[in-house]
Amino acid sequence: MGKIKKKGTSGNAKNYLSRSQAVRKLQISLPDFRRLCIFKGIYPREPRSKKRVSKSSTPSTTFYYAKDIQYLLHEPLLAKFRDQKALAKKISKALGRNEVGDAARFEKNLAPKLKLDHIIKERYPTFVDALRDLDDALSMLFLFANLPSTQNVPPKMIARCQRLTMEFEHYLIRTHAVRKTFLSIKGIYYQATIQGQDILWLVPYRFVQMAGPDVDFRIMGTFVDFYATLLGFVNFRLYTSIGLVYPPRFDLKSEEQGAELGAFQLEGEQMEAQAEAVGMLDVDAHDKAQAQADRLLEEADPEQIGEPQSSYMTAPETAEQQDTDMDDTLVPADQSQEGTSQTPLAALDEFASIDPKADTLLQPGLTADADVAGKLFEPFTFFLSRETPRHSLEFLVKAFGCKRVGWDNTLGEGAYCNESDTRITHQVVDRPELPLPSPPPTDGEDEGEVVSSKSNVRVPGRTYVQPQWVWDSINAGKLQRADLYAPGATLPPHLSPWVKPKKGQYDPTVPLAEQETALEAEQEAIAAEEGEDDVDEGSSGEEVEGVRGDEEVEALEHSLLSGNAITQGEGMDVALADSDSESELEAEPIEDDEFGGFSSASEVDEEESATTAHQNELLAEARGETIDEPKITKKTRIAAAKSRQTKAEREEAEQKERQKMMMPRRKRKMYEKMVYSNARKDEEAEELREKRRKIEKGKAGRA
Amino acid sequence: MAQQRAGQKRKVVEIPLAEQVEDDVLGNGDFDEELAEDEGSDGDEEFDEDEEEDGDEEDSDEEPLSEDGEDVRQQLRDLKTSSSVEIVDPDKDPDTDLATNGTYTPEKRPADLSNYDISVDANGNPRYIYKDIEPNYDTDDSDAPITKNTIGNIPLSYYDAYPHIGYDVNGRCIQRPAKGAALDSLLDSIDIPAGWTGLTDPATGKPLNLSREELEVLKKLSRNETPGDGYDPYPDMVEYFTGKGMEEVMPLSAAPEPKRRFVPSMHEHKRVMKIVKAIKEGRIKPYKEPTAEDLEKEEQEQEYAQYDVWANEVPRPDHAMNMPAPKLPPPGYEESYHPPPEYLPDKHQQEEWEKQDEEDRTRDFLPKDHSALRKVPGYAKFVKEKFERCLDLYLAPRVRRSKLNIDPESLLPKLPDPAELRPFPDHRSVEYVGHKGRVRTIAIDPTGDYLASGGDDGTVRIWELSTGHLKQKVRLSTTDPVNIVAWRPVISPPILAACCADNVHFIVPTDSTSPTAQAEAHTLLTAGFSAAPTIPTKSATGVDKPSPSSWHTPIPAHASQSISLTLSLRSTPKTLTWHRRGTYFATVCPSSGSPSTAIAIHALPTHTSQHPFKRLKGLPQTALFHPSQPKFFLATRQRVRIYDLQAGKLVRELLPGARWISSLSLHPGGNNLLIGSYDRKLLWHDLELAPTPYKTLRYHTRAIRDVAFHPTLQLFADASDDGSVQIFHGKVVEDGFENATIVPLKVLKGHRVRGELGVLGVVWHPREARCVSAGADGVVRMWA
Repeated sequence: MGKIKKKGTSGNAKNYLSRSQAVRKLQISLPDFRRLCIFKGIYPREPRSKKRVSKSSTPSTTFYYAKDIQYLLHEPLLAKFRDQKALAKKISKALGRNEVGDAARFEKNLAPKLKLDHIIKERYPTFVDALRDLDDALSMLFLFANLPSTQNVPPKMIARCQRLTMEFEHYLIRTHAVRKTFLSIKGIYYQATIQGQDILWLVPYRFVQMAGPDVDFRIMGTFVDFYATLLGFVNFRLYTSIGLVYPPRFDLKSEEQGAELGAFQLEGEQMEAQAEAVGMLDVDAHDKAQAQADRLLEEADPEQIGEPQSSYMTAPETAEQQDTDMDDTLVPADQSQEGTSQTPLAALDEFASIDPKADTLLQPGLTADADVAGKLFEPFTFFLSRETPRHSLEFLVKAFGCKRVGWDNTLGEGAYCNESDTRITHQVVDRPELPLPSPPPTDGEDEGEVVSSKSNVRVPGRTYVQPQWVWDSINAGKLQRADLYAPGATLPPHLSPWVKPKKGQYDPTVPLAEQETALEAEQEAIAAEEGEDDVDEGSSGEEVEGVRGDEEVEALEHSLLSGNAITQGEGMDVALADSDSESELEAEPIEDDEFGGFSSASEVDEEESATTAHQNELLAEARGETIDEPKITKKTRIAAAKSRQTKAEREEAEQKERQKMMMPRRKRKMYEKMVYSNARKDEEAEELREKRRKIEKGKAGRA
Repeated sequence: MAQQRAGQKRKVVEIPLAEQVEDDVLGNGDFDEELAEDEGSDGDEEFDEDEEEDGDEEDSDEEPLSEDGEDVRQQLRDLKTSSSVEIVDPDKDPDTDLATNGTYTPEKRPADLSNYDISVDANGNPRYIYKDIEPNYDTDDSDAPITKNTIGNIPLSYYDAYPHIGYDVNGRCIQRPAKGAALDSLLDSIDIPAGWTGLTDPATGKPLNLSREELEVLKKLSRNETPGDGYDPYPDMVEYFTGKGMEEVMPLSAAPEPKRRFVPSMHEHKRVMKIVKAIKEGRIKPYKEPTAEDLEKEEQEQEYAQYDVWANEVPRPDHAMNMPAPKLPPPGYEESYHPPPEYLPDKHQQEEWEKQDEEDRTRDFLPKDHSALRKVPGYAKFVKEKFERCLDLYLAPRVRRSKLNIDPESLLPKLPDPAELRPFPDHRSVEYVGHKGRVRTIAIDPTGDYLASGGDDGTVRIWELSTGHLKQKVRLSTTDPVNIVAWRPVISPPILAACCADNVHFIVPTDSTSPTAQAEAHTLLTAGFSAAPTIPTKSATGVDKPSPSSWHTPIPAHASQSISLTLSLRSTPKTLTWHRRGTYFATVCPSSGSPSTAIAIHALPTHTSQHPFKRLKGLPQTALFHPSQPKFFLATRQRVRIYDLQAGKLVRELLPGARWISSLSLHPGGNNLLIGSYDRKLLWHDLELAPTPYKTLRYHTRAIRDVAFHPTLQLFADASDDGSVQIFHGKVVEDGFENATIVPLKVLKGHRVRGELGVLGVVWHPREARCVSAGADGVVRMWA
């Protein structure tokens, strides 16, 4: 007999620790443990069998991996925490003795400074790892950059978050790395692709954020500390990779004037950049070149930039004064220009599948390429109206190639131009409607002359768009029709760029007819047809005795449904009688259903009934009687469509039932779960389609 | 009444008893008495003045009021606090008399003899009346308290109803001080005594007097003034020891100053020199106040990355326990600020969403349409959402879950198309109606033309299989059911074995067979009678063993029904299975006394029977002959044992895992065994594989009664008490490289469940894909 094994000495029982055990082992307080876990990225685990893991009788809820805790034991931060504790004791002692000066001195000089550098390296051994985990970091930091300073959120922390996020945005502007963006009701989502990693973050709208009483800012503060350190290092790496000095020069004065992005001045490091260029990727090299070009552009006089722009502008101006017409001419011109510039850059080709049944591979969007993204708004000069979200627009427009963005002075310093500037091609406004100026404006004789001082009058020669135009253009990868987004116009729906159309799921971009199922379409067609003479909706759900016809009848019915004009002749008479008598006979097995769902019998009966029905008819004909022509109501026809569906379905269901019988139980359960979830998704999609149908019908009714 | 009592008292006093008391009660009684008397006399003296003054008036007052003495008392009660003057009650007079009497009684008799008088009370008993103690110099008792309160610690109001308050040591009432309106004139006439306050001392009920000085103090206290005239609350401090002119002039010690006070310290010098040296060497840097520049630099160092952490990055190999946090899903259409209208919730959905608990909501927001960006409000739950994400990141347990993103259809096993597996029975074709009560057993003859059935009505019926026409009916018994019918598996001549009660009857069908065949059958059955009789075996004790069976010609009633032979067993057989050649058959009688006698193998040509198993574990249920090998399958309740009949030994034991086996069926190939069990399991055993089942099928909701392999086609069926027969395709590949494939084909429902019994038996047509089932509802059905 072997040695009796003691319980809880090996296996899972040893691999996991409950939280209180972990805290006891580390000999720190619970808040410190929490901080440590947040910094080190330690999270509880879900052991396979909780019962085997827990050593106590009470069900413990959180378990930590024992090796994680072991690894925490050697954390240098632990020593810092202990120092902090000691300091707290000293300070409280001093305060107890009324030695405020001492306490202040302690706090100033002795407070241990937590350095998280080593943790960054530990948690993210490679840069790509860090990028992969940047989603939460960016969302948090952007939130804190927009928070009001309170006791829990010191202004220093906010300033740090603001600086870090804006530095990151500057990098994105430089490299044109933003790919997609989305205006949601929560805030603005952005997605950037850096070194092949998709980073998605959410920026709140600029309102005062309300935090409920159940929000613990200490926890969030700990996260922000860590994330700020992380983003600092990421920014350093990103900046140096495109040959910029980090940290960029920060102009406190202009920041105070509300310059935001403009308060930073990026500087290149010529010497180091050249040395590093060897090791850099192609994209980086390109970016660097772009950056240098940008710098050159910036150094040049604004007039010089203005000139080509104005010459470019003159062409449409002379051609047409009308706003809408100008849009039409402008947009193709852009595209043609883009097209010519794209060809040498070997942009991605579109793969159109010839066979609709074949699998289609997902292609990266048009803006997936930095070069394309960088050219989207390049030729334009934007002016942001007072009511638009300046920061996000400025960031996006700049990230997509535009260099010249002006805004109202009230929005802050650093605008490229003011509203009266004639170089402006696009004005982003978010107002109910802007009337055209009643007198035809004098064609801009003087460039600097104020065309119209009133802000609520359109300046001819500019395209007025609502902010959504910018977002939609970015997501589509090409400029959208500006007239759809004119001020006061009803905007087209703003769609999330991340939803991938799936088979069977509802897709709002595709017309309804293309995505509804055959059954739905048929019902719809019948309903539409019927709806002309009698409006009797809601019957579609009703159950009617199944009318099951053979193929002939089906064909006839089909031709009927499709609206072919058939004279009310004999052929139709027979056909319909056929279906009708069948339906009566069909009811038989239901009536004498004493065998309790004897499925096979009905099938046999079916054939028999078909023959007998035919005989009945012949008899009737011979006798010279006419069988009453039954009314083809909508109900019966929908039911017919349904029953046809159900027959095939029933067979299929039977087959599936048999297959399921042969599955092991575990697999069967999994299968059933999947079928259930799929059915729910289908249901949702159907509901959406139904809603859309109703809306479309309502629109048609109004029109 | 008061007067009467007074009179009584007087009487007591008036009759002095000169008799001696036998003994002294107390030695020191006289001291007490003397003291008491002395004090009492003091009190008397006080009262005397008043007494003398108001003696006349008192008498005049009392007479008219004597009738309503109660009124007086009431008035006295009402005035208990207001009346302050101590007035002697008229009742008091006798007391004072007594006191005066007492003072002179000692003169009559010696004081040391007794300190009490003995008198007779109303009942004629002796009554001791103690004399008042005179506290003169003869008595030592100077501590005796003045009888102020004799009522103890009870409120004074308890005596409100009485004119007195308490009693003295002799039981005489201590009179309440006089009060009342009657005395007002007296009050007017006399001066208010000095110190009268109008208050009553609650302890004695006597008026509380205060002197003028005391009143003055009280008045000052109540006005927050200093109580006395000469009292100074803030006296000047008298500096006795300190202050000007009181300084200490002389030191405490007269010792001279030590030298070290004037010489520089050597040790200090050493320490300073050490520091000087350290500074010179640069080991100690003098403190420099950090400038703003330095501070800023330091801060920047803290806040901004100064170097590349990932300068030399080494990727970490992926580990199963390293689970990166899952990313948040990207927003969908419904989160848009201006979503397509179909994504907006209608009123009903909105209400539902609002009604739901926050945790139950599938979405944490309600889609909303804003016609322009400027109309979008701030999202109220933004901070909360981010906070919850933070909590999730560090508090939520993480576990790796592989998510199957596949079409669920791909999980379904590939089954052959049922059309390919045709033919199999899928509908009813013929019904055989006639049996009364349950049909217990059915059998199809080897030619496939006739069907035999037996049931609870004790008849065996032979039907034409294809039409359902009743060919022959044999009544075996009127009471016992027919348990088994089994055709001899040889085509010619046709013989049907039927078990009813303890007997096995061999029936030669008349209607369906030619006379020659009948004769042939008859000779075959009766040939055994001419065979040599078996020598009865002897048991160890020498007593003849009872023969397991007896073969005899049938009784005339049976013989007329074309029964040629009857075999009587000792208990009811429930299974009868033929050997393939038709010479042997086995019967199993589960109800037999011992397991060993439950199974008997019979030889038809010789009319012999034997119990081949001497010792058998478990209760035998059913048995089978192997179709090609000399093997015998025997099922006990939970096991199936395979015996080699030639070698006479156990070959194999199967462990189906069923609780109670009901039926067995062997595949015609002989390598696959089907076991049906009462615990709803259908077990497929591949005999070349493990002793455990190859497949366990559980598709019935009630017990399985019968299972049957098709003799030629790849089909098998089972019958269950839930009223259904299930048809399966069971493909067996004989090469042994491939496992059998089982495909469920059809559930045949049609039999009714009667008394928890559904279908009791199922048999296959020998060649065609038809099966026949026997129902507890008395109907036999063919399925085609």
